[in-house]
Amino acid sequence: MSQMEDSLGTRTISSPLGVPARPGLLNRQVLWVLFFLGLLVWALLESGIFQQEIVNAGGFTLALQFMAASLQPQLDGDFIRLTLQATLTTLAFAVIGLFFSAVFGFFGGIFASHTWARSFTTARMGQELPPLVRALWLALRWVLTLFRSVHEIIWALIFVAIIGLDPLSAILAITIPFAAIFAKVFSEIIDETGQEPFNALLNSGVSPAKAFLYGLLPLTFSDLLSYSFYRFECAIRAAAVLGIVGVGGLGYQIFLSLQTLKFPQIWTFLIALLVLNGAADLWSSVLRRRLGTDSRCAGRCAELEAVQTTRAAANPIFQDRVVRASIVIAILLVPLSFWYINPDFGRLFSERSYQNLLSLANDAVPPNFAIYSLGEWLDLTRTTLAMSFLGVALAGMLAILLAFPAANIFLIPAEGRSRSHGRGISRLISAVVLVITRVFLLVMRSIPAPIWALLLLFILFPGILPGALALGIYTLGVLGRLLAEVVENLDQRPLDALKAQGASRTGVFMYGALPAVLPRFTSYFLYRWEEIIRATVVVGLVGAGGLGRSLTEQLSGFNYPAVLAVLVIFILITFSVDLISQSARKSLRQVG
Amino acid sequence: MRCFIPEQKSQPIFDLHHASRTFGAFPALEDISFDVHPGERVALVGSSGAGKSTLIRLLNGTLFPTSGEVRVLGQDLARLKPRQLRRVQGQIGTIYQQFHLVDNLRVVHNVNAGHLADWSFARSLASLVRPMQVEAAHDALVQVGIPEKLYERTDRLSGGQQQRVAIARVLVQDPAAILADEPISSLDPQISSEIMDLLLDLSRRSGKTLLSSLHAIDFALSHYERVIGLKAGRIFFDARADLVTPGMITALYRT
Repeated sequence: MSQMEDSLGTRTISSPLGVPARPGLLNRQVLWVLFFLGLLVWALLESGIFQQEIVNAGGFTLALQFMAASLQPQLDGDFIRLTLQATLTTLAFAVIGLFFSAVFGFFGGIFASHTWARSFTTARMGQELPPLVRALWLALRWVLTLFRSVHEIIWALIFVAIIGLDPLSAILAITIPFAAIFAKVFSEIIDETGQEPFNALLNSGVSPAKAFLYGLLPLTFSDLLSYSFYRFECAIRAAAVLGIVGVGGLGYQIFLSLQTLKFPQIWTFLIALLVLNGAADLWSSVLRRRLGTDSRCAGRCAELEAVQTTRAAANPIFQDRVVRASIVIAILLVPLSFWYINPDFGRLFSERSYQNLLSLANDAVPPNFAIYSLGEWLDLTRTTLAMSFLGVALAGMLAILLAFPAANIFLIPAEGRSRSHGRGISRLISAVVLVITRVFLLVMRSIPAPIWALLLLFILFPGILPGALALGIYTLGVLGRLLAEVVENLDQRPLDALKAQGASRTGVFMYGALPAVLPRFTSYFLYRWEEIIRATVVVGLVGAGGLGRSLTEQLSGFNYPAVLAVLVIFILITFSVDLISQSARKSLRQVG
Repeated sequence: MRCFIPEQKSQPIFDLHHASRTFGAFPALEDISFDVHPGERVALVGSSGAGKSTLIRLLNGTLFPTSGEVRVLGQDLARLKPRQLRRVQGQIGTIYQQFHLVDNLRVVHNVNAGHLADWSFARSLASLVRPMQVEAAHDALVQVGIPEKLYERTDRLSGGQQQRVAIARVLVQDPAAILADEPISSLDPQISSEIMDLLLDLSRRSGKTLLSSLHAIDFALSHYERVIGLKAGRIFFDARADLVTPGMITALYRT
């Protein structure tokens, strides 16, 4: 009724007013676009593309030798055995790391959720969180943020210094940041899940813990499972990178072979890495399609939505054979991985580790900021920022182009098109394009960023550019895959409506597909920028430049107060990028 | 494009010959034959799953029959090349139950999407930056009663207003015929009758053919001249509205 009055009322008011004024071109979105364009120009200037020599012509022979070696990877029996062992080690790191982070992240997520904090209070004393609960809750969320803002590889360096080169170091290095991310995402899942069953139980006098168990957790289970499997592929990539600090696995082997320039060996390892990543990707995407749920997050937790696909089967998830088999395999993989790498948990509590921790803390505190002058700190910060932004901009631009050919919607056989001409061939072409694009993206993300950096350093001089390229190539692989999933999950109906009124393919693309995906794309770029700023440390470790490089220099000089100073500055930069990215995402959500 | 407008009044806009459509083993439509002439207003009724939406999709060329023939403006849709098909489709405007607008575009762009069959690539792209033919879009919005929403984001509008935007898009497209697939089923009764009146009024004034599938049988009988009843994928009756008896309707919905 009110809508009726509304529309009648406005009809009489607006007709004498004529055409509404065209809104100005300058709005918040446009300002953000201008800001990021400015940042890109600055990063390009900073990288020195236009001034200095960047290509190391002397390295071309090496690069050619490397490419030539791709035709003859080393395949003798002993070496295959070594490759297999390294692959299983990387897999085992990933499995155990993911297992612990799922367990800790699960409980962390419950305690970090607003729902949990609230459940103590609504039942007892109204809407306000009591100061103590609120303080504890905020402290927990802050600790989680801190944990995930430090890259796995820095955690690995710290643990290697404390407990030595044991598989345990690798496991802990994966577990801590992964568990923190898990906890954050899981707390979002909990807070966005329908609260009615939970509240109903609370209000009927059930204790918060029991109400959680019966009223909330069952609803979140498929989301949690889906997210865990999505993280599996990420964990494998993280485990491969960790090898570089010496804890073993494929990354370690590649690093060794690179240092000794044994190219045929590198190719064998790279193929193993590709197969491992491809298998994990396939498993996780098949499973997530089975688990796929309607998103309850409504644009608020993009990370979760990324992993959700529309549900194919209507069966309850446990009756699905693929899901059941996957859970059984996953459960079996955990003890097998423990058995295979045999981490020495005793070291965690040993006297020696404790002594190492103490002496490390003694050496490092207080941090020595005087190691660099203010100008040098600013230079390092600028380099790191420019490298990260150049990387994400490169990855973002290419990922937009590749997302559409990498999405399999444009060749899902449109029902009933069978009778028209020429579609068989064009469908074949797009299928070929799809496979090629997907494999390309898989290669990009399977090879860890520091390995890309080392390869690029054959032909480029150290600096911002090789680092940005390495991060950009790796991120392109990740981002292209994520964006392709956005495209696949696009609501097809508006597009069909445009097609039905005779719009061409480009018309449908511009007026239907692009406007619908762009906001999601943008929020992924921003998420990835937060990721990439953390990852600058990894390419810095192999000499690409920025704060990562000075971290390596100070580490190899055992100058722990300086190491701590670099870390503190680095975390501060990470936090500021998070802030920029969060406010950009927020203002994109409220566009008008 | 105008060449597709029939020269003699006798040429039907829609013309189906024994058209059938199966999905896998399921026959959604079987042996459908009827024609619709310019200026006719036809209601398509029947229970859910009777094949109404499938029939609409056959008529707007987003689906082809598995056997038989669907001619639109004299052209057999299944035999056209993509470009020719798009030309015919440009003469058919469709309105949907769920509106099918692009949520995060401004209203003006959703309305201007009606031009896409005519506009060049460059023009379509430029208009996304600085909207073109704003007056035409505004005129269309005046006709559907929401001119003040021109620059609003589409997802900010109510359901009834979004359906008005969809109708404005069809007005801008200026087709020879309008198809409406359950245009009012997502709206509350008050808004529904406003939207239905609007559609019929537009069709009467412009002389455009209107074919609309409807849940509300009373509405079909009181507002349309011709009613086609679909039952389990077959035509159950095809009659002038004043000749449809209560007995026919009871039989139509009996399972």
